[in-house]
Amino acid sequence: MSAAAKRLVVVAEHAQGRLAPVTWELLTCARQVAPTLELEIAAIVLGQGVEFLAKEIAQRSGVETWAVEVEGLAGFHGDAQRLALARLLPGLGAQAVLGAHSTSGLDWAPALAAELEAAYIPGVESVSLEANGPTFWRSAHFGKVRENLAPETWPLVLTVQPGAFEAAPPAEVSHGQVETVHPGAPPCRTKVLDVVEGAGADAGLGRAQVVVAAGRGVGEAENLELLRRVAGLFSSAALAGSRPVCDLGWLSYGQQVGLTGATVAPRLYLACGISGARQHTVGMQGSGFIVAVNSDPQAAIFNLADVCVVEDLASFIPSLLEQAEGV
Amino acid sequence: MRILACIKQVWEPESLFSLQGAELRPRPPLRRKISSYDELALEEALRLKDRLPQVRVTALSVGPASVVDALRRALGMGADQAVHILAPEQPPRPATLAAWIAAWASEQKFDLILTGVMSEDAMQGAVGPMLAARLRVPSVTSVVSLNIEGGAMTAEREMEGGRRQRLAVQLPALITIQSGPNQPRYPTLSNLLRAKKTTPLTLEATGLAAPIEREKVLAIAPPEKLRTGLVLEGDAAQKAQRLLAILRERALL
Ligand SMILES: Cc1cc2nc3c(=O)[nH]c(=O)nc-3n(C[C@H](O)[C@H](O)[C@H](O)COP(=O)(O)OP(=O)(O)OC[C@H]3O[C@@H](n4cnc5c(N)ncnc54)[C@H](O)[C@@H]3O)c2cc1C
Ligand SMILES: Nc1ncnc2c1ncn2[C@@H]1O[C@H](COP(=O)(O)O)[C@@H](O)[C@H]1O
Repeated sequence: MSAAAKRLVVVAEHAQGRLAPVTWELLTCARQVAPTLELEIAAIVLGQGVEFLAKEIAQRSGVETWAVEVEGLAGFHGDAQRLALARLLPGLGAQAVLGAHSTSGLDWAPALAAELEAAYIPGVESVSLEANGPTFWRSAHFGKVRENLAPETWPLVLTVQPGAFEAAPPAEVSHGQVETVHPGAPPCRTKVLDVVEGAGADAGLGRAQVVVAAGRGVGEAENLELLRRVAGLFSSAALAGSRPVCDLGWLSYGQQVGLTGATVAPRLYLACGISGARQHTVGMQGSGFIVAVNSDPQAAIFNLADVCVVEDLASFIPSLLEQAEGV
Repeated sequence: MRILACIKQVWEPESLFSLQGAELRPRPPLRRKISSYDELALEEALRLKDRLPQVRVTALSVGPASVVDALRRALGMGADQAVHILAPEQPPRPATLAAWIAAWASEQKFDLILTGVMSEDAMQGAVGPMLAARLRVPSVTSVVSLNIEGGAMTAEREMEGGRRQRLAVQLPALITIQSGPNQPRYPTLSNLLRAKKTTPLTLEATGLAAPIEREKVLAIAPPEKLRTGLVLEGDAAQKAQRLLAILRERALL
């Protein structure tokens, strides 16, 4: 691999010996951006025993890939990953660095940008190709607007919103090269003690054809009973919730939909009092038919709904139940 | 032990906004609040103060004169000190914010700095880790539980799929707080009365060092419509009736 090349480096995401789907989404974004910047795409996988993951990326995407074997980096460790990247990236001629806007990316990317004195654009959802280079779109203000940003200096670090780009690798590619490096253990100031597995998604949630989802807008735990009755109108339905509803203990964490919860794609998703933050919608955007009920006509959830009900749940849900159960 | 909690004041998320050229303006009634993750960060600081001896909590906010309300609420919740970095309404880039906060905080020898995992409105998750980099302290993000015993801190951070990672963290450090079972406490009357008489320590942002802005916001635009979004008309009962009809037509009900 040539040392002089200027590169766009994709930082692969993986857990428990598997590449996370968002890695392929990062590569899709990279393919949109790299040509106009005349950058070569490269991927980098950090961890212990990650060479096979590097091979998988190189084979399926055709990009040159580095396996960075970091001693002691068994699972994700933000401190170690950031320090290793800060050391390696300048030598790779990295003009742009792409990570996921996930719990991992949020841990290393902004601090890395600060250390490299790089421009930083978080949570990118789409790219526009302008004559003088790419510009990046992201959601802002509770998802009520999009903002368009461009770097004014290089290098650039950006994070890509999971679920915003296609995950499909190109159909036919020649294998990319793989190079393995052993940079040695970085001087971390944090130490991973252990990892506790999550409860896992509620089994019924994945199977249900209809998901009735409660957001903070339900107001009180008692109101969930009404939504449970709505779920009861359908033959195969499950009750789910946004993160705040699960945090409050109104529903279990196994019923949480979104980035840090379950991903569902039922035939019908009925979002009740959910604002539509990206971290929630990434877990339900593949649903067949989406109905949103929200009192705020500008709620972001309406942008991905098939049917929008601008209404207070307190009046709409009882009316829905009355008419449906009355039949 | 000295703890700094960085709190951002945001518009109520349910406010109606209008897009005027390159600016998004909320329509009256204008209501502001503390970004919810930042209220949780402050709550975490106050919990440490409840548990450990000799903890002093400082709440800091960058923004226009209105952020004094957020700082008063923080004092009402139990913060000992309030610091206001006076800046224009339009927030600067996160690196600039981090530089301003660092310019003041680096002199103060905080043992622990807490921020929200991201601000509720801008959702960048950037200011915390960038501040840590400026102060040359380690940062741990998306933390749902913190413990300090005998001067040693452990933090539990959330990962994808609900997995959690426990880390030992050397102090001083910066932690970004993610939501969990903890709910922020309400201000107490006695604290609020005290807060009313307190003027926050105020610094002018213009006097603080900051790097050049490395990104530029070129435009803002309405969100993309990803689906047709048929808006139902009528009163609640008519909308319910219409929805039931649509679900039956599509054999979903
Ligand atoms: C790293 C990270 C990971 C995350 N992971 C997840 C995740 O997995 N899942 C998840 O859901 N979130 C997740 N979040 C949180 C996410 O960003 C949002 O904060 C969350 O989804 C908001 O939940 P909500 O829509 O229920 O609440 P809010 O945003 O508070 O919205 C409540 C909505 O209810 C409406 N409403 C209020 N009253 C009524 C009424 N009477 N009738 C009708 N409507 C009403 C309001 O207009 C508002 O739109 C994550 C955040 C971070 C930073
Ligand atoms: N104007 C501000 N004043 C004080 N703290 C802020 C401000 N903006 C952001 N922060 C802190 O930085 C965190 C991350 O913000 P952001 O990078 O905008 O997502 C917030 O949760 C706050 O703790």
